[in-house]
Amino acid sequence: MIGAIRLIVFGFLALSVVYIAVSFYSRSIRREKLEDAWAEDHPGVDDSPERDAYIDEGMIDYQQGLRRKLILLVYIIPAIAIAVTMFIVNAT
Amino acid sequence: MRFVRNILLAIVAVFALLIAHYTLPQHDVVRVVNTYQERQDLGDWTRIFWSNPDDQSGTLVNRDVQFIQTVRKKSFLFGFIQRDAEGVMVYRNEDTGWRWPPYFKFDTASLQTEADDLRSTPEEPKWAVMTHYGWRNELISAFPNAMAIKPVDGPKPTVIPWFNIIFFVVLIALLLFIRAMWRQFRERTIDPALDDTRDAWEKVDEFADERRGRVSRWWRSWTGR
Repeated sequence: MIGAIRLIVFGFLALSVVYIAVSFYSRSIRREKLEDAWAEDHPGVDDSPERDAYIDEGMIDYQQGLRRKLILLVYIIPAIAIAVTMFIVNAT
Repeated sequence: MRFVRNILLAIVAVFALLIAHYTLPQHDVVRVVNTYQERQDLGDWTRIFWSNPDDQSGTLVNRDVQFIQTVRKKSFLFGFIQRDAEGVMVYRNEDTGWRWPPYFKFDTASLQTEADDLRSTPEEPKWAVMTHYGWRNELISAFPNAMAIKPVDGPKPTVIPWFNIIFFVVLIALLLFIRAMWRQFRERTIDPALDDTRDAWEKVDEFADERRGRVSRWWRSWTGR
């Protein structure tokens, strides 16, 4: 049983690193898309309070949206994979 | 530099392939001849070829291990090309538990029973597909670890390696994802930071040039050179 606890603790730590990396990546992609969308609609206006407000608003939408919650799959998918492997190896 | 880099990359690639070949499951077509249990000494470096089925087992110097003796159909190309030739193969049958490799095998005793149930003679062979990982090496007494045994109709069954297919698809997807993450990180974080540093460095450089100019002018004003 110690083995299972060790796997859960270290697996959780490793997946947390992955979770943080993926969240940074996802935020970065979101911000870049907002910047691109602004640049397309307002060519030439690079640095204005309106642009900052537009991007902040988009990022708040992202914070509250479903996509950000989907990153939790980083924890769920490996857990399911382990459960399926255990079932296939031992029960069949 | 490029030569050294290529050599290092080649070494890393060979190691990755060796680990994959040792760890990923492969399928053999076998006929079980016998099973036995034997006490094994675990005190030397060949320990790495035996499992740690539970936590106490890590410190033991010897313990009993179950084995499955089989006659095996030989094959080429990791089992993809089946041959008529036969050889023998002995598998160890050990739990992998919660440790590496991550197959979470706990059904050693059941598997041994299934193998016993499939015992057959050359005259009336009962063929089965043995899923296993690991290497057989007679010199250092290393045995592949049996993971599952499934009876089949004849000596030439169609085996689809689902686990390996899923594994490599997921691996490639992960590598592409990591590459995308790295590119995004470089484009949005490293490159702008480098630009900033470069600007700052240029300022330092200019300032140093100017100072040096002033100092040398002052020096020249004294020496006349």
